[in-house]
Amino acid sequence: MPAIETEGLSKYYGDVRGVEDLTFSVREGEVFGFLGPNGAGKTTAIRTLMGFQSPTEGTARVLGADVRDAEALRAARARVGFLPSEPGLDESVTGRRLIRYHGALRGDVRSDELLTVFDPPLDRKVREYSRGNKQMLAIVIAFMHDPDLVFMDEPTSGLDPLKQEELLEFVRAEQRRGKTFFFSSHILSEVRKVCDRVGIVRDGHLVELESVESLLDRSGKLVRVRVEGDVDAEDLAIDGAHDIAVSGDGAVENDTIDGSGDLDTGDGQATTVSFTYTGAHEPLLRRLLEFDLLDLSIEEAPLEDIFMRFYGEDPSERIERVEGVGNGAGEPAESGESDDGDGGDDQRTERADV
Amino acid sequence: MFETVRYEAKRRLPAATVISLALSAFAAMVLLIAPGIIGEVDVDALLENVPPALVESMGLEHMGTIEGFLALELYQFVWVLGLGAYVAYSTAGTIAGDVEDGRMDTLLAAPVSRRRLLLETYLALLTPAVVVNVVVFTVVAAGTAVIGESVALADLAAVHALSLPYFMLCGAAGMLASVAAPRRLIAEGVAAGAVVGTFLLQSLTTGTSAEWVGSVAPMRYYDPLTVLTASEYDLTGAGLLLAVTAALLLVAVRVFEERDVQ
Repeated sequence: MPAIETEGLSKYYGDVRGVEDLTFSVREGEVFGFLGPNGAGKTTAIRTLMGFQSPTEGTARVLGADVRDAEALRAARARVGFLPSEPGLDESVTGRRLIRYHGALRGDVRSDELLTVFDPPLDRKVREYSRGNKQMLAIVIAFMHDPDLVFMDEPTSGLDPLKQEELLEFVRAEQRRGKTFFFSSHILSEVRKVCDRVGIVRDGHLVELESVESLLDRSGKLVRVRVEGDVDAEDLAIDGAHDIAVSGDGAVENDTIDGSGDLDTGDGQATTVSFTYTGAHEPLLRRLLEFDLLDLSIEEAPLEDIFMRFYGEDPSERIERVEGVGNGAGEPAESGESDDGDGGDDQRTERADV
Repeated sequence: MFETVRYEAKRRLPAATVISLALSAFAAMVLLIAPGIIGEVDVDALLENVPPALVESMGLEHMGTIEGFLALELYQFVWVLGLGAYVAYSTAGTIAGDVEDGRMDTLLAAPVSRRRLLLETYLALLTPAVVVNVVVFTVVAAGTAVIGESVALADLAAVHALSLPYFMLCGAAGMLASVAAPRRLIAEGVAAGAVVGTFLLQSLTTGTSAEWVGSVAPMRYYDPLTVLTASEYDLTGAGLLLAVTAALLLVAVRVFEERDVQ
């Protein structure tokens, strides 16, 4: 039996679409990433699966319980944990009191153990907590009854990087114990660390369902390189590079960032090139080393870029749109210009992915 | 069992304590000025200048006795209107407030039914009602003895005991507002407004041909003045209040079960 199974699950708020026609299933023992930009319908889906709201059409089963059957779902929730993106906690009491209360409601078999990893100041009132401490308290409450299935809605939000890593490690350890996770996020890097499969949701629709590996293979990396001298887009046209954008950025020795505009006495011209790259690191680095590298960064592509690549939106159209709004500053990204001589003004390429 | 009752009741104890103290202080003040007014002011002469309809509708002719004075100064107004509106207001803030602040999500994630959550929250609100009743009863009973007056203790106890069904109804109305209103502020406003509105309605229609309109007012079924001055206990009225309370709670549970929590 799948841990979660949805059939044409739709939720509208009046005329506003939350999610539409979601059909997928999450296997037991799997970490299922539910990936999408903000406002895509991730939270709506989770709230409907938790039974906070009823579906407009279609249905879903959570641990075998139909979400439209309040009593069955209530019983199933004894084995379900829920970690919201914004922890909703009673702030007028201490963390310890809140843990006792929620322990009485859902059972408490492991809060002591959890508190060794996630350690909010229990004797202080929740109102005095930082955002991260609230999130840690919410984590303890979500896991204290040792649930078999946990819904997590942007669970790392508010946590410092160390605690984020601890949470992801905790999720991996729980998965080894056979637990199932429904992990909603808009951050690809954390999804790739823990998820087995991902469903990608956009505008309320599930647009893709695949393994994390194939998603990463397709999504590519964002490469930004700053080199000395003039460079054309063609110089970097290696296999797997897309959307190459080139811009001169002023004199090398006057490495101004905010560009006051008249620092043109340098003796060298630097060029910044950015592009999306899919493929192995080695050929990329070999090519880059042919230039005088000033700076290099290779990052995971932002989710929006992945969507753009996946679903065929033409990047140049988007750039024109941005330019139209922004008084035509900068050149079209792919024109490979560098005709501005010795950079009187900082020339910035307007990027579309805002 | 009853974790929510325990938890919510405890959270409300500070407010209950403050209200008890405030009302006790007010009761003490009323008792302190009572002997002066009852003994030295010619109430009958004073009332000659007041329209007879007003005297009758507000029971002002009882002003000259300690029972009447207490009923008019403390119970008819501060107790029935003030405390009634407060109970409705604070109940209305419970579920609506929890939903608005996202706390309801954390609660509903637990294997508890909405019915249970609502009823336990409601029961928890009776704590302040009971605490305030016990404290103020004690203060008034002791206070009358201190100023050398005497009020039948049975009547005084009845005034407090019979106020409980009345407050329970106010709370149930607040609970219905809490689950039905889209936001906390609206729920609170509607609930408190309903208590004040029906109070005005009943005051304005008493003694007129439209007196039947006032029968929707819960205050019609709980009259401290009659209890204290005539020792008449309206048990039918109390029963009616309890029946309506149960009905309102049933509707509230139903509404809460059906609605989306957003």
